Amino acid sequence: MTAKAKKNDGILQLSIKDDMTIYNAEALKETLLGYCRPDTRELQLDLSAVAEIDSAGLQLLLLLKAEAQRRGFILRLLRHSEAVIEVFELLKLGMYFGDPIVIPANWKKS
Amino acid sequence: MSDISPALETFSQEVDELLTAMEDALLGLEAAPDDADCINSIFRAMHTIKGSSGLFGFDDIVSFTHQVETVLDKVRNGERSIDSELIAVLLACKDHTAQIVQHVLFNEDEPLPEELQQQSQMLIAGLTGQSAAAAGVPSTQEEKADHFEVDPNTTDSSDNWVISLAFKPDALRNGMDPLSFIRYLQTLGKIVEAIITMPELLNFEDVNPQSCYLSFKIIFNSGCDKKTIEDVFEFAEDDCNIHILPPNSRQEHYLQLLDNLPEDQVKRLGEMLVEIGALTEKEVMRTLHEQWDDANDEPKPLGEMLLEKNILQQPVIEQALKKQESVKQKVNKESNYIRVDAAKLGYLINLVGELVISGAAMRLMVDKHGLSDVDDVASTMSHLVEDIRDTALQLRMVQIGETFTRFQRVVHDVSKELGKQIQLQITGGESELDKTVVEKINDPLTHLVRNSLDHGIETPAERLRAGKPEKGTIQLNAYHDSGRIVIQISDDGKGLDPDRIFAKAVAKGLIKPDQMLSKSEIYHLIFEPGLSTKEEANNLSGRGVGMDVVKRNIEALRGTVSVDSELGQGTVVTIHLPLTLAIIDGFMVEAQKERYIIPLSMVEECVEMSSEEWQIDDVQHYVNLRGQVLPYLRLGDFFHKNKKHTHTQRESLVVVRFGEAKAGFVVDELHGENQTVIKPLGKLFENLNGIGGATVLGSGDVALILDVQGLIQYARKRVNPTLALSSGI
Amino acid sequence: MAKTIMIVDDSASMRQVVGIALKGAGYEVIEASDGKDALSKLTGVKIHLIVSDINMPVMDGISFVKEVKQLDQYKFTPIIMLTTEMEEDKKRAAKEAGAKAWVTKPFQPPILLAAIAKLVLP
Repeated sequence: MTAKAKKNDGILQLSIKDDMTIYNAEALKETLLGYCRPDTRELQLDLSAVAEIDSAGLQLLLLLKAEAQRRGFILRLLRHSEAVIEVFELLKLGMYFGDPIVIPANWKKS
Repeated sequence: MSDISPALETFSQEVDELLTAMEDALLGLEAAPDDADCINSIFRAMHTIKGSSGLFGFDDIVSFTHQVETVLDKVRNGERSIDSELIAVLLACKDHTAQIVQHVLFNEDEPLPEELQQQSQMLIAGLTGQSAAAAGVPSTQEEKADHFEVDPNTTDSSDNWVISLAFKPDALRNGMDPLSFIRYLQTLGKIVEAIITMPELLNFEDVNPQSCYLSFKIIFNSGCDKKTIEDVFEFAEDDCNIHILPPNSRQEHYLQLLDNLPEDQVKRLGEMLVEIGALTEKEVMRTLHEQWDDANDEPKPLGEMLLEKNILQQPVIEQALKKQESVKQKVNKESNYIRVDAAKLGYLINLVGELVISGAAMRLMVDKHGLSDVDDVASTMSHLVEDIRDTALQLRMVQIGETFTRFQRVVHDVSKELGKQIQLQITGGESELDKTVVEKINDPLTHLVRNSLDHGIETPAERLRAGKPEKGTIQLNAYHDSGRIVIQISDDGKGLDPDRIFAKAVAKGLIKPDQMLSKSEIYHLIFEPGLSTKEEANNLSGRGVGMDVVKRNIEALRGTVSVDSELGQGTVVTIHLPLTLAIIDGFMVEAQKERYIIPLSMVEECVEMSSEEWQIDDVQHYVNLRGQVLPYLRLGDFFHKNKKHTHTQRESLVVVRFGEAKAGFVVDELHGENQTVIKPLGKLFENLNGIGGATVLGSGDVALILDVQGLIQYARKRVNPTLALSSGI
Repeated sequence: MAKTIMIVDDSASMRQVVGIALKGAGYEVIEASDGKDALSKLTGVKIHLIVSDINMPVMDGISFVKEVKQLDQYKFTPIIMLTTEMEEDKKRAAKEAGAKAWVTKPFQPPILLAAIAKLVLP
C-alpha cells in the first residue's frame, strides 16, 4: 500500500508510506488523482515516511500542486522526511510549496 | 591505499589464472587455428589484465598488454590470420606479461628494468612489425586539461552562471535523474537559485509519471570553467538540451583572451570561441546542427544563432567577430601580393644601382662644367633616383614577424617532446629587412631557439625548485638600430655557466688554464668550433657543431652575434644584421690618393687629427678622444704597407663604431656622403683584409668599401691593453 | 541512506579495487562476476546504479543490460558501461540497449568515482 488516507469534512489526509521514485510513480499518481475530487477542499500529504524521492517523485508533487491550483483546493505538505528536505533545499522549493518545513532535531545535515 | 594489498593478491592470482588459460588456448589454436573460443579467451586474458593493471596504475603492464590486445582484436575480427609464428610470439608475450607483472608486484615503485623494456619492445615489434612508440600507448594518467582554473572561493557572489536544462521525456526512463546531476553540480559551486518550469496546461490526469516534463534554470556560482560544468551533464547529453551562459566576469576574461589570440590565420568564429573557452566543442556542434536543420531559409550565421540561443553574451560574440574581421583584413593584406620572380627583382635593383651611379656621374659633370641651369633639373632627378632606390629596396623588404611566428610551432612541438612548458613571446615582428637576409637568418635562428629550448629552459620541476614560474619564456625581439636590424633571442632559463665553459675550453685546448678572461670573453667561447656545453648530444642540438656555424652564417651576412647570460636567470643572444646586402649609404674618404667608402651607419663623427687637441700615441696607435681610449688606424699605411707615404698637413680622424667597439680611421680627405651599390669582389679578392666590396664611382673610378668590423678588430688588437690602462686614460 | 551500487565484472581484482574505492566514498556495494550472476542478485534489493563490464564470460554486458531493462524493479536504474576505445561499436550497442553512461578502460578509481557521482551521489 503506497498511501493511507483519512477523510474529514473535505479535508483529506494522506500518508505516503513508500519511496517516491519512478518505480512507483504510476501507482502514486493514480492514488493522488483519486484524491483530486470535486469536493476536495484541502489535501494534506504526510511525507514523513518518504525514504527516497527522485525527479519523478518531485515532478508528481509539482504537478499535484499545479493541479490543486487549477481545481482550487489547497495542497499542504506535512512532516517532510529527510530525503524530501534534501531535495527541497537543493532546488530552493520551500517557498514554492509554501508549507512550513519542520527540521527534526536529529537532522544530520543541518 | 594501504587496504589494497589483498586486492593485489587477488590481482596476482587472477593474472596467473588468465595466463594459464591463455597458454592452454594458444596451444589449442595450434590444432584448430580458427577456434573462436580459444581466440576469445586469449583476448580476454590480455583485456582483463590490462583493465585491472590500469586500476592499480601499473602503466608498464597496461602499455604492453594494450599492444597485444590490439593485435588480438584484429585476429578476432578476422583482419589478421593466426599462424604458428604468431602463436609463438603470443606465447612469448604471455611469459613476458607474467614477468612484468611479477616485477611490478614486488618492486612497485621502481621503473621497469632495461632488459624487460627492451623485451617488451621486441615482442611488440614481432607482433606488429612496428615499434612500440609508433603504435600509440594508452596511459592511465589523465591528460592534463588545458584550461585555466580559477579558485572557486574568489568569485563574486553576484556574478553567476546560468545553466538551462530542458530534459526530454525519456530522461527518467533512461536512468538520467535530473536531481542527480544537480546534486553533483552542487559539489562544484553554489546553487544560488533554481527555477523549475513545466509545460502549462498539463492535466494531472493525462501525465505519464515516468516521463519527464521538467526544465530547470539554475543560477550557479562557481569558479569552474565552462567545460567542467558541461562535463557534469556529460551523460545526460542525449536526454537533455543544455545551455550554459557564463557569468559577466567571464566575459571580461573572454574578451581579454580574444585580444591575445594570435593573428596568423583566419579562424572560424566557433573555433575562436572554443579556443578561449567561451564555448565548448559540443555547443558548437549542436548549434551547427541546428543551423542545418533550419535550412528552409538561408542558414543564419553562427554568431547570430549563438546570440539567439542565448549561449553567449553579445559583447563576446561581437568582439570575436571584430577580431575575426581584423585578422581577415590582415591576412587579406598579406595575400594582396603579386608574386614576382626574385631574379627579376634582383635585376631591377641592380639597374637601380647603375642608375644611382650614372646619376652621380651626371652630378659630377654638371658641377664640373658649371651648368647652373641644369643644376635644378639634376637635383630633381637625383631626388627621384633616391626615391626609386628606396622603393626598389622596399620591394625586397619583408617583415621579420613571419619568420618569428614559424617558431611558435617549433616551440610547441619541442617543448611537448621534452616535457617542458615553454611559451614564445614575439616582439618587433614588424621590423623589416631584406628578403635575402631573412632567408639566410632562418637557420641560425632555428639553431638558437632550439638551443634555448634544449639547454636554456629547465624542466617544470627544476624551475619550480629555482623559484621561477613553471612555464619558461623564450623571447624573439627585433628592432632597428642605426641602420641595422638587431635580433634578440632571450630565455629565462638556467643561463650559461662560465666556469663550465672555461673548463671545457681548457679541456679542448682552446685556452690555457691560467688565462684571465672576462665573463663576456668566456661566453664568447661558445662560438668556438667544437665547444658545446651539454655533455650528451640529443637529436635537436648540442652536437657541438652548432654555435660556430651560427656565428659563421651571421658573419657572412656582415652581421655579428654576441651572447650575454646570468647564471640561473637566462641567456640573451644578440644578432646585428645589415638591412640589405645590396646598397649602402656610404661615407667617402681618401687616403694616399685612394678612395674608400665607409658605411655611413657606422660613422660616429669626424674630427681633425691634431696632436694639440688629442693626445696621440703614435707607438701604441691610440688617441685620447675626450678621455676615451680610441685605437686608430692610418688607412694609407694599412693598405699600402710597403709604400713610402707622405703625411698631408691636415689629417682627419673618422670615428667608426661597430656594436660596442669603436676605432678611428686616419684619412687625408673627407668626401662626404654617397650612395653606393655594392659590387662583390671577385673570388680572387674575397679574402682581402679590411675590404668588404667595391663600388664604381660616377667618375668611373673604383672605390673600396671598408670592412669596418674587421678593421676595428685589427685596430683594437694592436693597442696593448695594459699600456692603455696604465696611462691612466 | 547510503546508495547501493552493483559492480559486474569478471575480474575479481577489478571488483575488489572498485569495491574498496566505492565503499571508501560511502556507497554500499554488491558484486557480480558476470551478467548471469548479476541478474540472479537483482531481486529484492534496492540498487541505485549498475557498473558493468562488456566483455564477460557466461553473459556479456550488452545482453545483461537488455535483461535489466526487462526487470520492472530495475529497468530505470542508470547503468555505466566499462568500455575500451576498441569497442566503439559495442558502446553504441550498449547505448541502444539502454546504458547511457560509460567509462573507458583502463581507468583509475577516481575517474570511475567521478562518473558515478554525476549519476548518484553517495
